[in-house]
Amino acid sequence: MMMKKQTMYFRMITSSLIRRRSRMIVALLAVAIGATILSGLVTIYYDVPRQMGQEFRSYGANLIFTPAGDETSFTMEAVRKATDFIPNNDIMGIAPYRYETVKINEQPFTAAGVIMDEVKKTSPYWFVSGQWPQNDGEALIGQEVSDYIRLSPGDMFTVTGANSVGDSFSRDFTVLGIVQTGGIEEAFLFVSLSDLEEMAGDKGRLDVVECSVSASQAELDDIVRRIDENVEEVTPRLVKRVTRSEGAVLAKLQALVYLVTTIALLLTMICVATTMMAVVAERRKEIGLKKALGAANRSIVMEFLGEGLFLGGLGGLLGALFGFAFAQTVSLNVFGRSISFQPRLIPASMAISIIITGLACLLPVRSATDVDPAIVLRGE
Amino acid sequence: MFWRMVKGALFRQKGKMLMIAFTVALGASLAAAMLNVMLDVGDKVNQELKAYGANINVMPKGASLLDDLYGVAEDSGASDKYLKESELGDIKTIFWAFNIVDFAPYLNARVKLNSGSQEIKLVGTWFKRRLDLPTGESLETGMINMKSWWDVSGDWLTDQDENAAMMGAVVAERNDVKVGDEITVETRGRMKRLTVKGVFNAGSDEDERIYIPLRVAQELMDRDGFVSGAEVSALTTPDNELSRRAAQNPKSLSIKEWETWYCTAYVSAICYQIEEVITDSVAKPIRQVAESEGAILEKTQLLMFLITVLSLIGSALGISNLVTASVMERSREIGLLKAVGAHNSPISRLVLTEILVTAILGGVAGYFAGLGFAQIIGRSVFESAIDIKPMVIPLVAILTFAVTLAGSVPSIRFLLSLRPAEVLRGR
Repeated sequence: MMMKKQTMYFRMITSSLIRRRSRMIVALLAVAIGATILSGLVTIYYDVPRQMGQEFRSYGANLIFTPAGDETSFTMEAVRKATDFIPNNDIMGIAPYRYETVKINEQPFTAAGVIMDEVKKTSPYWFVSGQWPQNDGEALIGQEVSDYIRLSPGDMFTVTGANSVGDSFSRDFTVLGIVQTGGIEEAFLFVSLSDLEEMAGDKGRLDVVECSVSASQAELDDIVRRIDENVEEVTPRLVKRVTRSEGAVLAKLQALVYLVTTIALLLTMICVATTMMAVVAERRKEIGLKKALGAANRSIVMEFLGEGLFLGGLGGLLGALFGFAFAQTVSLNVFGRSISFQPRLIPASMAISIIITGLACLLPVRSATDVDPAIVLRGE
Repeated sequence: MFWRMVKGALFRQKGKMLMIAFTVALGASLAAAMLNVMLDVGDKVNQELKAYGANINVMPKGASLLDDLYGVAEDSGASDKYLKESELGDIKTIFWAFNIVDFAPYLNARVKLNSGSQEIKLVGTWFKRRLDLPTGESLETGMINMKSWWDVSGDWLTDQDENAAMMGAVVAERNDVKVGDEITVETRGRMKRLTVKGVFNAGSDEDERIYIPLRVAQELMDRDGFVSGAEVSALTTPDNELSRRAAQNPKSLSIKEWETWYCTAYVSAICYQIEEVITDSVAKPIRQVAESEGAILEKTQLLMFLITVLSLIGSALGISNLVTASVMERSREIGLLKAVGAHNSPISRLVLTEILVTAILGGVAGYFAGLGFAQIIGRSVFESAIDIKPMVIPLVAILTFAVTLAGSVPSIRFLLSLRPAEVLRGR
């Protein structure tokens, strides 16, 4: 008996879904659209801080290492020890700098020994006319230097000076690019770290290290604290101008997406509910007929709920997939990076769709079952 | 007769029509809110990004950053170039004056602290200076607005302080100075006693400087009415091909291009205009700030645009879905009308008019509700009202109209294609 009742129940639901195909597609579409917006916006909402955080790295380094205490320099070893405390995934770039005073045409200039690839990552805002140096013997010079000694890309110049033990050196470089930053960097010339070490001796000495770390203010504070406690050779410092402002602006952006998401979701969900209500309200006659044939209110409600459950579940599942596709499109277009699929969103979007369709079904069904079947059948 | 039927339908089916109007209103309010926010988000985020401080550096022509590097003393004559303090207010009179948010001048000196041997950089500046402009307006500008990230223990200076200074955390620590202590600074044989009113931590080389009010610095250095440079914080439009070309050489542009460039708030155009009003000056964009602002602005706008598109598509589908559902529901009525001999076109006109009247009512209500939502977003996120753009009205109107038509036309045609007998009998 029990078995039979259940089979009948399922048969009623499936046949109702199949018989009234066009209307069910309308309802399913409504639920799927709602769920798409839900899962799409929620994915974006969770993804925005991470993606935007990476964009904010275009402001350059947010953490620098300087020599600790009275020391004037530190070694690559110490840097390695310190960077162990930064999660690998969060490191956008770590650029060591070593400064030496050198002479070009007997004029003093500051030369910075750097690893070009890392500088490109930590200072993406540098504007280089010409090219970034790739090899030893090539140099990047600041706009000021270029104006001062009239060098343009392709020119050769000779750098002279004295090394750490007092011997003089002389070395030729080719200008590959001219860098404009609007800041103090325009007065430097940049050569590869190995070139500078060869000229000035004292291998492995560094003056400052710029790190670009994609992390929140609290995480950065924690990194600084741990490096400070564990690595004696360096003093980690946050570049406040960058970290503070980033925190403030990011918080606003996230609040913006949050509010927009909430409002969009609220409105879409009400939209879904009204559509479901319209679809169900249409079936007052069917409900009346069932009641006239002696169906209990409970079983009618159960039947509609079953249908709603099915629609909500299927719509939610479809929506979760479409929503991810949308979020992926947004991420690729806006940030040029893909996002990972959040499996948790599938049950969440299904559950919310089911609840909304269920509630939206219940209201009109209730009002239909409350009325005397004769009145419903006779028409309004 | 036609209008009586429309009216009849609207009133008889009050409940259903209200539901359609309500859904259209929701969709329209979503569209209005999102479009308004999207169109204004650029300006708003731009304001927020001002937290990063100045994006333009103004220096005297020929002055070089090189002086900073080698500690060439100011009185060596090498960098004895200044801007006139009296001209600074003119920055607020350029074409893009409205986009200049803040600016502060600097007068740099090297001083000996407490008769020590090491030279320290001393900067005279405005903290919160009230300026009366030639245009009759007045504004407050200075360091307090521009250095929002400074951690100050003690107090900020005011421009009226005669004998007070602010010290960077690094100098303060090195010389063992605390808030409230007295220091002496010495330059070119002149001595001045100052009370340290605040110690700040800026997390940059500013930490190695001492700041005092501009007037005090000018007196100390005997440079009345002069400043060594200024930092300007301006709202700018992200760079494009034209502005890059202009930045290289404004003369390479054709007259028309030049006009476009001059009348757009590119950082290079603003720099050019600042150079026009301040004698013998060079204005340079600080790329770290200017460039990154552009990148972030573009991303935010694109993000908001895509979210808006999704919401619009969502609400469009939602509305047309509901309209379809409600038209389908009226199969009997349409069947009856056909059975009593109505032609197809009057029937479709009747149904369409009903739905459009409902949609217009809903759309108007929705538009105003949307303005409300937009203001909620503006107030709670940016603490300022969102600008209401008139162009949103036609957009929302067209959208509502198109969506309602798209939802009702196919279903009406479907119903008309059915035979009245079948419809009336019920399937």
